[in-house]
Amino acid sequence: MSRLEKLTQGLAFRLSAWTLTAAGLVFVLMSAATYLMAREALLKNAEANARTLAQAIVMRIEARLAPISRVPQGVAYELEDGELSGEPAIFKRQRRVLADNEEIFGMAVAFEPDGSGDQQYAPYTFRSPLGPKTTHLGGPGYRYHNMDWYQIPRELGRMVWSEPYFDEGGGGVLMATCSVPFFTGGDANGTLRHGEDRRVAGVVTADVSLEWLTRLVASVRVLDTGYASLISRNGTYLTHPKSGVAFNETIFSRAEEHDDARLREIGRDMLRGGSRFIPYTSRHTGKPGFLTYMPLPTMGWSLAVFSPRDELLADVQRQALVTAALGGGGFLLLAALIGLLARTVTRPLGRLAAAACEVAGGNLEARLPETASRDEVGELTASFAHMQTSLRDYIRDLTQATASRERMESELRIAHDIQMGILPKLFPPLPDRHEIDLYASLSPAREVGGDFYDFFPVGRDQFCFLVGDVSGKGVPAAFYMAVAKTLLKSVAESAAGAGQRRTDDRGGERAVAAAETAAAAPPRRGPEPARILGRVNDDLAKDNDSCMFVTIFCAVLDMNTGELRFASAGHNPPLILRRGAAPEYLPAPGDPVAGALPGVTYTSGALTLASGDAILLYTDGVTEAMNPAQELLGEPRLLELAAGADGLDARGLCERLAEGVQAFAAGADQSDDITLLVLRFRGADGTTPDDTPAA
Amino acid sequence: MEFTNEKCGAFLVLVISGRMDTLTAREFDAEADKWIKAGEKRLVLDLAQLAYISSAGLRSILAAAKQLKAVGGDLAFCGLSGLVAEVFTVSGFAKLLPVFATREEALARA
Repeated sequence: MSRLEKLTQGLAFRLSAWTLTAAGLVFVLMSAATYLMAREALLKNAEANARTLAQAIVMRIEARLAPISRVPQGVAYELEDGELSGEPAIFKRQRRVLADNEEIFGMAVAFEPDGSGDQQYAPYTFRSPLGPKTTHLGGPGYRYHNMDWYQIPRELGRMVWSEPYFDEGGGGVLMATCSVPFFTGGDANGTLRHGEDRRVAGVVTADVSLEWLTRLVASVRVLDTGYASLISRNGTYLTHPKSGVAFNETIFSRAEEHDDARLREIGRDMLRGGSRFIPYTSRHTGKPGFLTYMPLPTMGWSLAVFSPRDELLADVQRQALVTAALGGGGFLLLAALIGLLARTVTRPLGRLAAAACEVAGGNLEARLPETASRDEVGELTASFAHMQTSLRDYIRDLTQATASRERMESELRIAHDIQMGILPKLFPPLPDRHEIDLYASLSPAREVGGDFYDFFPVGRDQFCFLVGDVSGKGVPAAFYMAVAKTLLKSVAESAAGAGQRRTDDRGGERAVAAAETAAAAPPRRGPEPARILGRVNDDLAKDNDSCMFVTIFCAVLDMNTGELRFASAGHNPPLILRRGAAPEYLPAPGDPVAGALPGVTYTSGALTLASGDAILLYTDGVTEAMNPAQELLGEPRLLELAAGADGLDARGLCERLAEGVQAFAAGADQSDDITLLVLRFRGADGTTPDDTPAA
Repeated sequence: MEFTNEKCGAFLVLVISGRMDTLTAREFDAEADKWIKAGEKRLVLDLAQLAYISSAGLRSILAAAKQLKAVGGDLAFCGLSGLVAEVFTVSGFAKLLPVFATREEALARA
């Protein structure tokens, strides 16, 4: 795996990655929450702050205007009280006003014209570069009686401020005129004496310069790009951050121009004297923000203050940025620390893993990493070391056990060779006797087993052959087998010898009677199988604590006559294969197995073989051979396998049967020894009708 | 393999059910040993429930028979059938040891 893959799959990496992800998430959430909460708090404050600012501006303006409006009001009262009579007094008063109030540019006292209105009397004092100058207003071209500054206060009967205007005559200065009517009749409170009328006697005006106003409003600092703007009683912009707007546009004309119904609504509300704090996007700067507006009571004007939202929130955003930067830095630091920590933890694990790998590869002496820590890694290392030791011990024991097993197996192999060695394997057994054709095979299930066969001559024309099967398997059966086989041969041969001697003994007696009854001379007989088995049984049964026993089928063939005498000790019935006939089982006499209990008498059986007939001896390893389907071969199948064997010699038949058993077993394990012995009688002359004519 | 026992006069009838092969034969060894040590001399084995017997089983039976003979007792059989009967016949155990067709016959002896 590539280095990158290895890294990303490592514990350290995963540990770090997850921790950092979680920490990062927590940090982001906290920052977001803090920012949002701060912003909310700030926006709440924004309204209060904007109001406060607007109020402050309003109060400053009012503070300058209010006193001014009291001046013409004072003069009006003096006129009513008759304190100012005569032109000199009026001019003097006007001059004093100008001297005391630098914002007042000029003051006029315009008297109500008589009757036709031709009599206009309006003394007027104004500032000029050279000092106060006096004049009279009114003339043919200037009928002040019809002017707004005279008519409106006269009609309303109270102080009226005019709309601001530019005074061309005074050098283009922004002005407004404060007009206060004065009355005749009635006292100062306007209380009329009985039968008197209260009439307007005239109007006192003060022309006020508003230059300071523009400067004041313009100088208002609202954050960075925020601004204040003033509109007059009819909506005309008195001040506006955009040059050229003031006095040229009204709030309504601007609304119309931009098709901004909202602005129109705001304008109407402002003129109504409304005072609100609303979200608003500035037409001037294009920025979204908030608009606060409130009225100036004295003039009937309205002030609007615009605070851009982003600047309002600038502090919060700055704070958020700082937090983010700090958090980012802290995060990186955390990442480094966690990475380091994870590595510290996993490095011993990594070393242990490497050592484990080495051990797994076969190096049991590999050194495990030293670990002093008592944490889980330390425990793991200790356990692993323990495991390593156990493994070493186990392998050592296993090696020893294997060595001793191999020793035993080699001994068993030698035992097998010895056991096979004691079985006769010379075929044909009697090379110069053609009366018999014999073959035998034995395949043990294990290295050593309990099956055996034997064949040997017992006299000049007698041939003994047998098959045996010891109960059980393995070494015990092998011992018993060796004893039984040896015993059988020795008993058979000694019986043969005794019989021979007996025959010889009688020879002398018979010679006398020979002439009398030649035919009465008893023929030479071989040993009697039944008697052989009886003696062997007695020998085996004594001192048989292990209670093992052996089945035997023993037969003696007279090679001259074909007479076969036999006896069976609990053994499988042999197959008789008569030439030209189907194979048949020889009926079993049911005599007991040999070696169990002493004193058994065995039954003798006899039959005569014709030339070409054969007999097959076998053990239950053949009939009880099992295939993978757990079926036994059985006696019927053996019968089938042995059929049609006339043309075969003993060896051929043996091999065919062995192959048949193997084919049936079809690969299943061989559970018992398989022994086969075939003897074909070829007649006294050694030929059978099946032989092909000699060339 | 399972054993049930029944005392019938001088005889102890042991009913064996199951299979007697190399693995289970020692169970019979222990059971027979137990009864012989308890003093029983005349054992009758009822093999009606026995499904199978191998040469290892025959060895166990032989051992029990010799053990009983040594104390002056005997071992008899009844209820043989099928495979077990065949094995007894072929191995000649039927001629070595007394085999009866029914339990009653086995118990009717003196």
